[in-house]
Amino acid sequence: MKPKSDLPQGTLDLLILKVVALGPIHGYAVAQRLEQVSRGVVQVPQGSLYPALHRLENRGLLKADWKLTETGREAKFYRVTRKGQAQLETEAAGWQRLTQAVSLILKMSEGGAG
Amino acid sequence: MKWWHRLFRRRQHEEQLEKELRHHLDLHTSDLIDQGCSPEEARRRAHLALGGPEQVKEMCRDARGTRWVEELLQDLRIGVRMLRKNPSFTLVVAATLALGIGANTAIFGLVDALLLRPLPIVKAPSQLVLLVRGDGRGSTLSYPDFKDLRERNEVLSDLALFTQAPISFGNNVRSEVVLGAMVSGNYFDVLGIKPSLGRTFLPEEDRTPGTHPVVVLNHSFWQSRFNSDRTLVGQTIVLNNQRFTVIGIVPAGFDGESPPMKVSLWIPVMMTSAMRWEPGEARQDPLSNRQNENFGAIGRLKQDVSIVQAQTALETINRQLEEANPPPTERRINPNDDRSLRLLSPQGMMIGPLREMAVTSSRLAGATVLTVLLIACANVANLLMVRAIRRRKEVAVRLALGATRGRLIRQLLTESVLLALVGATAGLFLAYWINQLLMAFKPPFPPPFTFALDLSFDIRTFAFTYLLAIATGVIFGLVPALQASRPDVLPALKDESNAEGPRVRWLNLRNALVVTQVALSLALLISTGLFLRTLRYAQQIDLGFKPDHVLQVSFNLRLQRYNEAQGREFYQRIVERIERLPGVQTASVTNLLPLGFIWQSTPVVPEDREVPPNERVFAGSVSVGSQYFETIGTPLLRGRGFTVQDTIKSPQVAIVSEKLARHLWPKIKEPGEALGKRLRVGRSDLVSCEVIGVAKDARNNIFNRIDKEPEPTIYRPFAQNYSALASLIVRTDGDPRGLSSAVRREVAALDENLPPQNLQPLSETVSLASWSARTGAAVLGVFGLLGLVLAAIGIYGVMSYSVSRRTREIGLRMALGAETRDVIKLILKQGLGLTLIGTIIGVMLAVAVTRLLTSLLYGVTATDPATFAGVVLFVIGVAVLACYLPARRATKVDPMVALRCE
Repeated sequence: MKPKSDLPQGTLDLLILKVVALGPIHGYAVAQRLEQVSRGVVQVPQGSLYPALHRLENRGLLKADWKLTETGREAKFYRVTRKGQAQLETEAAGWQRLTQAVSLILKMSEGGAG
Repeated sequence: MKWWHRLFRRRQHEEQLEKELRHHLDLHTSDLIDQGCSPEEARRRAHLALGGPEQVKEMCRDARGTRWVEELLQDLRIGVRMLRKNPSFTLVVAATLALGIGANTAIFGLVDALLLRPLPIVKAPSQLVLLVRGDGRGSTLSYPDFKDLRERNEVLSDLALFTQAPISFGNNVRSEVVLGAMVSGNYFDVLGIKPSLGRTFLPEEDRTPGTHPVVVLNHSFWQSRFNSDRTLVGQTIVLNNQRFTVIGIVPAGFDGESPPMKVSLWIPVMMTSAMRWEPGEARQDPLSNRQNENFGAIGRLKQDVSIVQAQTALETINRQLEEANPPPTERRINPNDDRSLRLLSPQGMMIGPLREMAVTSSRLAGATVLTVLLIACANVANLLMVRAIRRRKEVAVRLALGATRGRLIRQLLTESVLLALVGATAGLFLAYWINQLLMAFKPPFPPPFTFALDLSFDIRTFAFTYLLAIATGVIFGLVPALQASRPDVLPALKDESNAEGPRVRWLNLRNALVVTQVALSLALLISTGLFLRTLRYAQQIDLGFKPDHVLQVSFNLRLQRYNEAQGREFYQRIVERIERLPGVQTASVTNLLPLGFIWQSTPVVPEDREVPPNERVFAGSVSVGSQYFETIGTPLLRGRGFTVQDTIKSPQVAIVSEKLARHLWPKIKEPGEALGKRLRVGRSDLVSCEVIGVAKDARNNIFNRIDKEPEPTIYRPFAQNYSALASLIVRTDGDPRGLSSAVRREVAALDENLPPQNLQPLSETVSLASWSARTGAAVLGVFGLLGLVLAAIGIYGVMSYSVSRRTREIGLRMALGAETRDVIKLILKQGLGLTLIGTIIGVMLAVAVTRLLTSLLYGVTATDPATFAGVVLFVIGVAVLACYLPARRATKVDPMVALRCE
């Protein structure tokens, strides 16, 4: 089993926003989706998932409604607000720039060594 | 959703959080079962993955942002529990704070009523402005000024005019003089007041002089005089012997634009000349005369016009008016008089000199009660620190369990604020009581000028009190909380409550508090002492007349429409009748009562030399009957007093005061040399008189400070200088009050419709002059003593505590042979050391503070050594007592018990 990496500071919110932006979703599904999509590379501590969801809800980036799941149970479904969508776009763009810059630097140092 | 929503739906949120997490666990568990785990194993792993549910919940609560409120509620619960656990502690602290906060609330209520409160009942009071020319002493505009300002300005939506005047109301049974106002027709419209009954003035009632005798009544006047008779509207009442139709009643609570003066009725300004019946220059139409500056004006700012913009615009018009119509030189006392126009917001009392007095006294009273509160805070802080020592273990346990220091401080502060709030609530009741007391000191204005101050608490008072309480709670709680939350956890947990380290530091802080208390109460008491000395000086001062055993009664014959001949006859006959009463020594008549509320002065020039206009002497102008000087008790230095031989037909004569003699004839050596010289008196039609007497100076002008040089005064025979407004003075053998009913009977025998006004001993009128000193001494005295009591409790507390800490040491000393005397000396030394430091600081503080009182003191300097020494000795005496009691208790300690006590 590959060692799982911890999430860099502050990226959990971004990832949650992205996952929720795909459609209304409850907390457990967010955890599953994150784990599936990252192919098990990213370790999302479930314990910090809910505080993060509540924090985003509190900041008005997410909104939650109680709905029935397909199995007929009541669950709290989160969806992204307009403000959350905007936030997601800015943060995603920022993340892109950052990763590009980081990988550029990393490649450069490889070139320097070779 | 706002945080307070979340707060109130807290239970629902907790349930939802629980449900959400359960849902998560259930799903995860069933997924794991699907993957082949046993149900128990699946549940275990699901729980493991999520982490402790309570921790997750806690983190979610944090994320919700209502945490601080929840903690606050928690703190409050703990606080209430702590306070209930120590009822005696709570009681002592709450009572101390009630004194401190209550005193502040009382003074705030007074300041609010005197200075801050906007006009009641009126619409949008913030848009209203009073127009004041010059320094704002009384009314300052003429009717033509008003018309020009009203028509030419573009900053006010409208401007109204007012002037107040005593008006004789009723006839036969209920004749009395009340304060009325003559106002322009738009007065109530500008203020935005709708009558509660009937109507206000119509435009046509504001156009032609003398044609519309209508009146609008004050609600409380209507209530008290007409028993709230609703059919009164449309009927007539008698004012100044004329019939006026009542057209409306204003809503309750509106007393005119100049509180605390209470206006009872309003009539159109067009009725002014019809109301008045004045001799001399005022006989001209008061509305067309630009020199008749007897009016005030109140306007409403247009939307979006600031008071500063409006003032600039109106001052420009005022300057144009001044240039176009310069006042005749003889009308102007000082050519450099400030005649600029100012706009003031009608808040609190607006009458210039009274407001100044109120501002000065409010500052003083405010500083005083704040000092009392500081002393109270120091006491409570001391008590809290003692308690903090007892609670060290509790605090240490909490710290050991992981409470952060900030959280702990917050909790301790919540407790102290809670205490302050309890104290503040008690303080409100105390403030109500203090205010009742303060009202006993209201300035004794003669009727119809009633000083009606509404001291009932409003929302501002409550807001002030509770905000102050919160601030107080933080101030006195902060230092103890900082100290208490920093114990060394280990020794505290091991119950080493007598560990040496912290004790020294805390005691030092406590000592500092005692020093502060002594210093503050010393400064307060020194101020009190200075006021008491001022008061004594005021009582000893030679007024130049003798107010004791003199009864006064005033009349306004003008209101009763007496002509001059009738008036002369009335005054002559009433004096004759009263002189015949048993118990009366002499009686006379005067137009001005010494130190009365009304004063007049007039220019006087000598005939034998030229005086440039700007050096012209202004003298108090007093018209008196025969035997005036005997009756009032002012000695004549030379010459004779007026007699019945001085009539309107005999040569014009005058008596001058010493001061006037010296001013008019600076070259004379003795004031008596003025006898036989001639002078001219008056503003326009000068009267030439011969000086037939020189009187001793009298301090007779209320508007002049009682400790200042007496004002020059000219006395003329009442017969030669008639005044419809005059007073009788009656010198009696015994208590002048005893003659009141007899005097009333004599007046009624001459004219049963004539209301006698201000029938009272002259000494009461004179007391207005020393009102500020009396009030200052009383208020400061009460609060100063309160401060001292609190400081004494503080010293006592600290000494008791220190003695209880030293029980073992004292026992040891006594076991080793120390005498009672030695022990007492030891304790006293410590207490007196603190007191002395406090005294030194207090004296320095007092020197700085009392300098600010100079304007209110007389007959004593702000650094009067006797006062300082006396107060210092007194404070040290109290401190000795406060130390002696615990010291004596210490000597009663049984050495064996003391040695075993640890």
